[in-house]
Amino acid sequence: MPNPTNAVRRPEILLFVLLSACLALLSFEVRRPNGQTVGEAWLLDAGAPFVRLVTGTRSGASDLKVWSSSRGHLLAENRALKQRLVEMDGELLRLRDADRDKTRMMELFNTLPHPPAFTRSARLIALETAGPFRTALLDRGTLDGIGQGGVVVGRGGLLGRIVAASPHTARVQLLTDRTAAVGVLFLRTGRAAVARGDGAGGVAVQYVPRSAYEELALNDDIVSAGTDGVYPKDLPIGRIADLRRSGNPLLLDLPVKLAADPNRESVIFVLPAIPLGESVTNAAVAASPASQAAVPAPTPTPVPKSTPTPAPKPGARP
Amino acid sequence: MKVVRFLAGLVAAVLATVGFGAAGFPTPPDFFLFPVADLARTGAPMAAMLAGLAAGLIEDLFLVPGRLLGLHSFSKVLVGYLLATLGARMVVEKPAGVGGLLAGAVVVESAILVLLLWVLRGDPIAPQPLLLLARAVITGLLGAAIHAAAGVPWRARLLARRRRRLL
Repeated sequence: MPNPTNAVRRPEILLFVLLSACLALLSFEVRRPNGQTVGEAWLLDAGAPFVRLVTGTRSGASDLKVWSSSRGHLLAENRALKQRLVEMDGELLRLRDADRDKTRMMELFNTLPHPPAFTRSARLIALETAGPFRTALLDRGTLDGIGQGGVVVGRGGLLGRIVAASPHTARVQLLTDRTAAVGVLFLRTGRAAVARGDGAGGVAVQYVPRSAYEELALNDDIVSAGTDGVYPKDLPIGRIADLRRSGNPLLLDLPVKLAADPNRESVIFVLPAIPLGESVTNAAVAASPASQAAVPAPTPTPVPKSTPTPAPKPGARP
Repeated sequence: MKVVRFLAGLVAAVLATVGFGAAGFPTPPDFFLFPVADLARTGAPMAAMLAGLAAGLIEDLFLVPGRLLGLHSFSKVLVGYLLATLGARMVVEKPAGVGGLLAGAVVVESAILVLLLWVLRGDPIAPQPLLLLARAVITGLLGAAIHAAAGVPWRARLLARRRRRLL
């Protein structure tokens, strides 16, 4: 039995249906000034949450994929690094053993490590002092293969460099010269600085900020940094003799106790000059412990462990 | 019979609209309103609405630039419903009343179209009042004339004239 209310309202229902149909038809045909129909706008508005949901899901999946890939990559890298660390630890142990064996063997045979090629030996025959300038004279010159720029090392460490060479003699600018400077590294901390001669027989490390005061300690070893283009890397220079503040409020003044004393070195070695713009690692020179490594020997022939040579007097002329 | 009459009215409306359009008449009457109003006079709103839908769709096909299907059908459905509601509550027999109703229907339909386009496009497009008034008046006059002509017993008069000639 039909509902009488619906029967009465049937025209209105039909009216509503027809008008809605016409409106829906029109909404997809009439374009607004922005070129979009009302129906499209309604559809876009209605579909926006779904589109946002899909976009968000896709973005989340992409992020998850990236995260998973990154995590996998990092884990693999971590494993590889751990493996590499283990290998390097093993290699370090082997190298230490080999170095210890080598040192022991060298002590047994009373020999010194091989110097780099073209290393020459010479005698330090005179030390000259002229105000702030400190130089030394060698008994060998260009005829013996010693040229300007050569690096002069003693048994203890770096002494200076050749600044002039004649056929039979060569002049060395010592580290204590007022105009001498060398790039240095603190062996324990790795901090870089510059050491300068003070012209009074000493050397001081400069350009160390005061903030480094806590990390430095007395007797910290100092080696050449190899960054100045003059001296090879890792040549022992000395140790920190004092920690004091200089006149500059920002920097420290660190006097250095030199590893090689020209007054006590009679036989020295001249390493070849570093070509311009090149930084050389003198591994052969610096491989062994600092006190030993700085002294290359021209041949592996046994030499006395401590050569009692008389120290030339400062200012003596050849 | 009503359906045949409605279809004939639709065909006549199409021909008249095309004819007036070809003649370049500035304010042609709303010919498609006549068959809808004719059906609505009986007071059957559903029939009137369906007639309005059909007439409006055909009018959209013929008149509206860009063929916005649904524009005049919307207004004609509404006008047909209103006219049928009126026809169910009162009897309008005088040509002047019929003309007035048709003129009012034209104005109402124009208002509906303006509102509809405003809602859909976002900016109102108001018709020129004088043209709208002229269109309403012409439609009303033509509808009154047709209604008056339809009330004349043409066959009886023709038979009477033949009888007089024979005598």
